Amino acid sequence: MTQSLEKETDTGVPAGDPTSQRSTLARRVRATATAYGFMGPAIVLVLLFFIVPGILLLVLSFTNLSSANFSDPWSYIGFDNFSRLFSDPFFPKILRNTAFYVFTTLIFFNLGLALVLALVTTNIPRRAGFFFRLVWLLPRLTPSVVYIMMWQRIGQADPFGIYNQIVPGFLGASGGNLFLGGSPWTFVILTNGFVGASFGMIIFTSALESIPKDLITAAKVDGASLWRIIRDIKLPLIKWPLLFIATYQTLSLLTSFEYILLLTEGGPGLFTTEVWALTAYKRAFSSYFGNSQWAFGATWAIVLVSVALVLAVGYVKLFKFNELIEEPRIENL
Amino acid sequence: MTTAEISPPTHPVAGLPKAREKMGRRFAYGFLILSIMPIVVGYSWIVVATLSFRTEGLLPRNAEGGIGGFTLSNWDFVTDGAIWNAMFNSLLIAVAMVFGVGIASTAGGYALSRMKFAGRKAFLSMTLVLHAFKAEMLLIAIFFVLRWLGDIPIIGNFVGFNSVGGVALVMIALELPLGIWLMKGFFDNLPWDMERAALIDGASRFRVWWQIMLPQVRPGLAALSLFTFIAGWNAYLVPFTFTIGTKVANMPVFLNQLISDTAPTNWNQVAAVGLFQMIPLLIFFIFTQELLLNIYAGGSKGS
Amino acid sequence: MRVELDNLSKSWDGVVGADKITLDISDGDLVAFLGPSGCGKTTTLLMVAGIYKPSGGTISFDGRVVNEVAPKDRGIGMVFQSYALYPHMTVFGNISYPLRIQKLDKAVIKDRVQKVADMMGIGDLLDRKIAQLSGGQQQRVSLGRALVKEPQLLLFDEPLSNLDARLRLTMRGEIKRLQGDLGITSIYVTHDQVEAMTMADRIAVMSKGILQAYDVPEALYDRPKTLFVAGFVGNPPMNFLDIEVTRDNGEFRAKSESIDLILPQERAEKAAAVKGKVTMGLRPEDLNLAEGTSGHSGPTLSGVAETVEPLGREDLVGVGINGVEMRVLVDKTRGVRVGDNLDLQVDPSKIQLFDPVTENSLLWA
Repeated sequence: MTQSLEKETDTGVPAGDPTSQRSTLARRVRATATAYGFMGPAIVLVLLFFIVPGILLLVLSFTNLSSANFSDPWSYIGFDNFSRLFSDPFFPKILRNTAFYVFTTLIFFNLGLALVLALVTTNIPRRAGFFFRLVWLLPRLTPSVVYIMMWQRIGQADPFGIYNQIVPGFLGASGGNLFLGGSPWTFVILTNGFVGASFGMIIFTSALESIPKDLITAAKVDGASLWRIIRDIKLPLIKWPLLFIATYQTLSLLTSFEYILLLTEGGPGLFTTEVWALTAYKRAFSSYFGNSQWAFGATWAIVLVSVALVLAVGYVKLFKFNELIEEPRIENL
Repeated sequence: MTTAEISPPTHPVAGLPKAREKMGRRFAYGFLILSIMPIVVGYSWIVVATLSFRTEGLLPRNAEGGIGGFTLSNWDFVTDGAIWNAMFNSLLIAVAMVFGVGIASTAGGYALSRMKFAGRKAFLSMTLVLHAFKAEMLLIAIFFVLRWLGDIPIIGNFVGFNSVGGVALVMIALELPLGIWLMKGFFDNLPWDMERAALIDGASRFRVWWQIMLPQVRPGLAALSLFTFIAGWNAYLVPFTFTIGTKVANMPVFLNQLISDTAPTNWNQVAAVGLFQMIPLLIFFIFTQELLLNIYAGGSKGS
Repeated sequence: MRVELDNLSKSWDGVVGADKITLDISDGDLVAFLGPSGCGKTTTLLMVAGIYKPSGGTISFDGRVVNEVAPKDRGIGMVFQSYALYPHMTVFGNISYPLRIQKLDKAVIKDRVQKVADMMGIGDLLDRKIAQLSGGQQQRVSLGRALVKEPQLLLFDEPLSNLDARLRLTMRGEIKRLQGDLGITSIYVTHDQVEAMTMADRIAVMSKGILQAYDVPEALYDRPKTLFVAGFVGNPPMNFLDIEVTRDNGEFRAKSESIDLILPQERAEKAAAVKGKVTMGLRPEDLNLAEGTSGHSGPTLSGVAETVEPLGREDLVGVGINGVEMRVLVDKTRGVRVGDNLDLQVDPSKIQLFDPVTENSLLWA
């Protein structure tokens, strides 16, 4: 029924041969161009700071680029960096440290304490619960340098340390510097945990608050105790948020090192609190050994990036985020 | 507030004997108060320290070692140009992030939410993965990207290695996957008919985005802006890694230099600088409580 | 403007939204797309608007294919169920938006907006925010925004569904009058068959993406071409019975376990050709209570009143006839009560007959 074109002026429809292949193609190209115009800034930034660095990291790990031979960069040295990494005398220790750090912080704070805080603050009057959650948000809001400064001050040696003043001699050597002496791990985990717990707390709280009140009332009518209500009703219903926090925070803890860098720099002594991510960073940037070993640092990093990437993809698949994606209900002409 | 006064309107603990309920309440409050002690103590110290000559534990000491020694001399730094330079850099990074993340996220989030184009699915999946992925490990390679950018004539002076612009650019990029994902979510919630109506009224997609859709996501954009501002204001790792010296240092880096470069550290002055840089954050904390709790839930940003 | 749809189709990854819709809308007509939700009427409308891209077939305005023309260049105005007003603008801002995009002179815009607003009876509300308006006022603004650019084609997507019953009645009349006065070709999507019957010049009945019938309202009511149309058009809906048509001594009879009825020859002849079951349709308004024994001829059915639903002027009575329920409209003054024995008179000229397999009418197909 494609009829021959008649020149129309009163419909406001522009003349133009709609059946021509070229015009169809031109429209399609223009529609795509519009979309890419919107995406433009994001694409450039993602390319420059995610894709290119990712590839670069991989390339670097096969070279011996360092500040010592910057004049002759990019010489290919095969898997030397990788064999050096796995034969590093401190490799087992760093691996153990990383596992200890991630799991302890996750279990006791980011997951455990977060859940307890959410349960307790939702079982007291609303405003009081809100107040405590708000205070718990403070560490997350505080600049890392200031935040760590507070903890340093808490753990410092006599006569300055606050902890030693209040409860002398409870953790480690009495009167000494706690985070650089007595119990560095305690402080590493506390500093990270006090920031990490609030995220889970907020997520769990909103999940708990969305449980229908009727359900709880029904359980109470059935004579269930508070503990049984939590165990039999609340916990099963927030199963997915729990899993979400567990995976998300694992990923997060695995790659984060800012607080450790500020608090102990991996010390005291050799590699006492050094985790994988911090090693990668220090090898590349600090002149710890008098030389910025970019390539070797990149090798440590690329291993961790690969693990993080696999975890991230798994996490996206696990929570079926892709199913949230809807088809647009406007089609470009 | 005593436990007796607390009426339980939201969670009536029916069936529990009054005494046990009361004990449970006490236990709950005891636990919560204990849990926030490190936070309370840390903040108390910083306030006490900024106003005193010297502190031992939480106690202010005067020169003779007695309690007292109130002084404002720790705040003398406000007359020093260096702090204002650092503050200006912090502000520059934070504001650049608000605009950079805001524009790139609202544009990108809109396209991903509402437009059909080749590569949409791939971009969406990538945004999702990058959103969960922690980019700190890429800093080593970003170092080289920044050096290359610095070699570009003219532009290089503003966005290369060891420049505030470069730091801002990296920070914008690192926050972008989160921003796009958040804004896409906000656009997803808008009715299609409104956009269809605007297209029929004669608007281009750009005009629809700018004049019709953006005004509807203003609350979301405000939340994102607050979030990125705080992230930019607090930024430490990226500026620390990609800047050298005090000229381009932002506040957290400046503070850290103050701690590590002076021996012995004047903790009371450091505390004052620390509190000074937290002023905007404390203002947000007081006036946007509800919003902050929501942002950090939706923001899915953990450490 | 004349609108032609030729084999217009839309599908997404195998899910069919509209399947080969072909129809022709004359200049100045108001055509209703009628069907239950998910029948493809809105999909078709959005293709006409240029929001969806057809998977196949063509849309022509005055003979020119517009498949690839952007919505803004189609010369259309559209009114939505949700009103789709811009909440951050005033009434003036909303109505003037299409004109402001065209960058018309400020005075001209003001003049045209005022004229349209006066016509819609919202001339004194121009400074109001959208949130301050009632649903009815919002729909007037929406209509004003569609009209202000003087479109060649008006599209309505269930515009009255969000209004309360009384307002719906008023607006129905107003839209019809306005459309008639302005003479703008219109497509009106609705799931409400009363709305379609009262407003439309022609009705396109759709189901599952397929155009079931396209005709003037009376024809759809009197001569439904498919079982779906018969069941969808008319309120309360038509009664259906499975029967067999037999021929005894030159007389056609509709027989089943529950009934035995003499059929008029002109209707039954075509049905008699079908072996086996036939679906017979009878409208509740075409069944009457027999007035005692007074000289009425024609077929009758006997049953018991099982339910009585007062509709105001009439009662809708569910009459059980040997296990089959028929809905019948009965004058209130008859005072039918549950349990009453009733004799029903069938108007033989109104009987519909369908092939139960193809669901097509045996009379009008």
